[in-house]
Amino acid sequence: MSIRFILCFNKQGVVRLIRWYVGNESSGDTQDVIAQIYRLISSKDHKRHSNFVEFSETTKLVYKRYAGLYFVMGVDLRDDDPIYLSHIHLFVEVLDSFFGNVCELDIVFNFYKAYMVMDEMFLGGEIQEVSKDVLIERLGTLDRLE
Amino acid sequence: MLGVVQPVEDVKQRLRPFGLFFERSLKDLIKGIRAHGDSPESLEKYLAEELSHCREEVNSLDMNLKSNAVLKLAYLEMYGFDMSWANFHILEVMSSTGMRNKRVGYLAASQSFNRDPDILILMTNLLQKDLKYSATGGNDTYKIGVALSGVSSFVTKDLAKDIVQDLLLMLNNSKPYIRKKTVVALFKVYLQYPESLRDTFDQFVLKLEDEDRSVVSATVSVICELSKQNPSIFIQLSPVLYEILVTIDNNWIIIRLLKLFTNLSKVEPKLKHKLLPKIVELMDSTSATSVLYESINCIVKGQMLSTDDFDVAMKCLKCLNEFCISQDPNLRYISCLLFYKIGKINPQFVEQFDELILHLLCDVDVSIRSKALELLNGITHDGNLKLIVSTLMKQFVNEEVVVIENYRNAATRDVPIVVPEDYKIKLVTTIIKLCSMNNFINIPDFKWYNTVLIDLVVVSSDLKDKTRLGSMIGEQIKSVMLRVPDLRNVTMTTIITILTMEKMNLSTVLKECVWCLGEYSKLIENGDALIQLLIRNAPHFNAETKVVLIPAILKLFGSWCNGPANQDLPSIKIVLNDMIDFLDTLTTSSSFEIQERSIEVSEILKLSLDAVEMQEQDNSDEGGLPLLLCEVIPGFFNSYELLPILAGTQRRLQEEGQISSVDLITPFLTQTELSNILKDYDEIQEDGLSHTDRLSDHDGKYRSESDLDDSVANDAGNAAAGDEVHDDLHFLEEQRRQEQLSNPFYLTEESEGTKATTNDLLSLDSNDSSKREDLTLIKLASENLTANAGKTGERKKRGKAKRAVVLADEVVIEPNPRADSTTLHQKVAALNKSDRGINLVTQSQLSSFDFSKKGDDRELDDAENEAELEKLRKKFAAQSLDTSNVSEPVEDQEEVIVIKKKKKSKKKKKKNEEDVPDESNTVQNE
Repeated sequence: MSIRFILCFNKQGVVRLIRWYVGNESSGDTQDVIAQIYRLISSKDHKRHSNFVEFSETTKLVYKRYAGLYFVMGVDLRDDDPIYLSHIHLFVEVLDSFFGNVCELDIVFNFYKAYMVMDEMFLGGEIQEVSKDVLIERLGTLDRLE
Repeated sequence: MLGVVQPVEDVKQRLRPFGLFFERSLKDLIKGIRAHGDSPESLEKYLAEELSHCREEVNSLDMNLKSNAVLKLAYLEMYGFDMSWANFHILEVMSSTGMRNKRVGYLAASQSFNRDPDILILMTNLLQKDLKYSATGGNDTYKIGVALSGVSSFVTKDLAKDIVQDLLLMLNNSKPYIRKKTVVALFKVYLQYPESLRDTFDQFVLKLEDEDRSVVSATVSVICELSKQNPSIFIQLSPVLYEILVTIDNNWIIIRLLKLFTNLSKVEPKLKHKLLPKIVELMDSTSATSVLYESINCIVKGQMLSTDDFDVAMKCLKCLNEFCISQDPNLRYISCLLFYKIGKINPQFVEQFDELILHLLCDVDVSIRSKALELLNGITHDGNLKLIVSTLMKQFVNEEVVVIENYRNAATRDVPIVVPEDYKIKLVTTIIKLCSMNNFINIPDFKWYNTVLIDLVVVSSDLKDKTRLGSMIGEQIKSVMLRVPDLRNVTMTTIITILTMEKMNLSTVLKECVWCLGEYSKLIENGDALIQLLIRNAPHFNAETKVVLIPAILKLFGSWCNGPANQDLPSIKIVLNDMIDFLDTLTTSSSFEIQERSIEVSEILKLSLDAVEMQEQDNSDEGGLPLLLCEVIPGFFNSYELLPILAGTQRRLQEEGQISSVDLITPFLTQTELSNILKDYDEIQEDGLSHTDRLSDHDGKYRSESDLDDSVANDAGNAAAGDEVHDDLHFLEEQRRQEQLSNPFYLTEESEGTKATTNDLLSLDSNDSSKREDLTLIKLASENLTANAGKTGERKKRGKAKRAVVLADEVVIEPNPRADSTTLHQKVAALNKSDRGINLVTQSQLSSFDFSKKGDDRELDDAENEAELEKLRKKFAAQSLDTSNVSEPVEDQEEVIVIKKKKKSKKKKKKNEEDVPDESNTVQNE
């Protein structure tokens, strides 16, 4: 399994985006899982620590912080990490171009558009498009459809 | 009028999707949440209100209002509000024709449907409709795109079955956008419904040759993911994939391909020959760090690196070396991981990178340090062990800081590195592992190791895993004590330092320490002070330590009494009294082991006390010590020096013993001998004599032993038989030694059971004058064993019958077998009686054996009325009179069960008495 979930929350732990690509494996409440992830990640000093955290017996978290927002991906424990960091980075870059200097409020008020970006990039936990130009063009078209 | 209103409504309707109504509404919700953010109560109230609004709105007939409500619900879902109750409404919104609403519907479905698969049954038709492409429809491409995104988030097996054909058709769609999305959606379908992969494999892999690069990229990604689960089916694609790898210049796809080849190469080693040169070439040509990393990763994880590929390994390691010292913590971390893996393939690879590893050990990121710790065993040698260990030890002590530069005001500040507990635990275990590795081969100086161990005790005291760490350190101390005879004095000092350490709360380390104190008590001059110290500290010891402590103080006492400084009787008496007082407090311990040992030892000590008092009264001039003190007690423990033995020796000896030298089948008694014994039963009963063939040569001594039996039985307080007791105990000791020698399970220097190999391991000082004697004794014992060959059958039969007795207790039986069993009972009891006479030493063990059976046996007795039995019971009664005075009452009945095991367990028991934790026997020695 590739990406298990994509999660985005702010420094206070308020969820901004969440998409599960597999059923939540841990039987616990989704909110508990999110709280757990938040605790794990917010306690790390992102400047000095690596951006990988082992989360459960099967899942590893790859995360990156952009301003006040954490972008987290849950991936297979055996997977290699750096590629997912690039995924996150690409995702943020595309968000940035799409909204134009994106900030947290953009994502809050246009969360459905952020999901649209996510859906154009990732499909079922697998990255489907890696070209930023293609993505931006596609998203522009989709956006005009509204 | 109507004409005017209508357009306004119409305009409003049409404006809604373009943001007017709808945007405000979601904005209102979000702003409201932010406005109420300061207090949780008001926020909760607000959200509850909004939710009830949503509930009303989703029931609205106006599709736009409904879709708006669904969107708000999707937003609230992120706050943890379940929206599965609205699933049906979501479905409605999804089925609306407008692109906007449809998209909102699919978004909500992606969030909500994976919790409720039932709703999917309802939407199969809808999906199939949405996935139909008609070239005329204006927005069909995007409609399908939205549907595919939705499908891939909530597809189930049933849904997968239904739509797989629709998806296949779309693989050949004219739009690359749709082909690409379909490829990825099929991935989810395959995961849910693997059978479909078999049927559609050919069509699917054709997409590797698609003209559009995005489609190829997506296909490679999907195959890469699928190959993680089942690589073998994709091996046939290797030529195509290789072709892509050679021709393509997109780094994303190259990385994906490398990952894919990693998976394939794991199951198909032949790929290595073709791939490895290409990957090495790639490493030379690329400038992208990620590609470089993935190349190395592919080589390592794809198992293309064998232990003799020094060239490739060095090339990889040199790259990694650079990554490992880069500024990027992520790159450092993953490179360190790869470095670690290469190091595991062949430790020689990393040998020359010891500087780097030491560097990583001090990395600011503790998780990198932790990985570097695991690499240490590859680079450790006797030259750098001290350096490494001191580097590690410093991490316990030094508060490390990182200097963070603040770019804004050009100031710097120190931020302490938080070292987690787990890492500290790992540090301790790593230090111990490194030092003890390969039988301490790297340790240049054991004095130094002693100080390290003391330091470890100090640092481990605060760690949460201290129970385990304590016993690990204890093991080390014991090993050093045992194996470095020249430095035993130093080690002893270490132990005493640890013992007297203030605020020592690493109680588990004490177990081995206390054992060492006892075992090497000869090294201690003022044993009395140490005994007092131990007694004082004993309340803080844990149960395991107390178990070891009891024999240890006896050993200490023995050594001290017979030490070079001749002790005078009064001071011995003081120590004796202290010890007895102390042991008395333990006799009520809840641990059986402590109880039993404390009683045993305290009885011996009481005897000694009597002997000392006697000596004082009798001849205060001579000043010698009673025999009990100067010979018997030391004799308990000093027969042999414990030596380290190769791990597994014990088992090998046992196996060999079973095959060749030890006859476990032959009974000890022939039929006639047995009946003789039974005949002699009355006689035995009268004079308390017991009889075995084994000791028949020692008849004279044997009598005196049973006298001893009596004298012990008549309580230690009765000092009249003092000297006699000493003699007898002495004899007993002698006899015990013999038994050990004849015991195939007891490792002695020249036991016949041992083979040449073990002789090497067990070589003792040959100046032992008793050796010859021992040898003859062994011989004697084994002669007996062989002499008794042929009596096995009887013995065996009895064993079986005995079991029948035990069974008979549990099941209600008819009179006939009962009668049978009673005669057996009788026989066995008689035999038992005779055995008992010999086994004075093992009395306590007998009494501790299997209490549960006792009750059953009594019931049996109660139930029996036959005259024969009555008679038997009288005999039992008389017999138990004989034995009841012996320190603990012994149930005869239960011995019926014991008898078969007696031989073996007795020996085990004895061994336990002598060298308490006999794990040390299995320590390696090379």
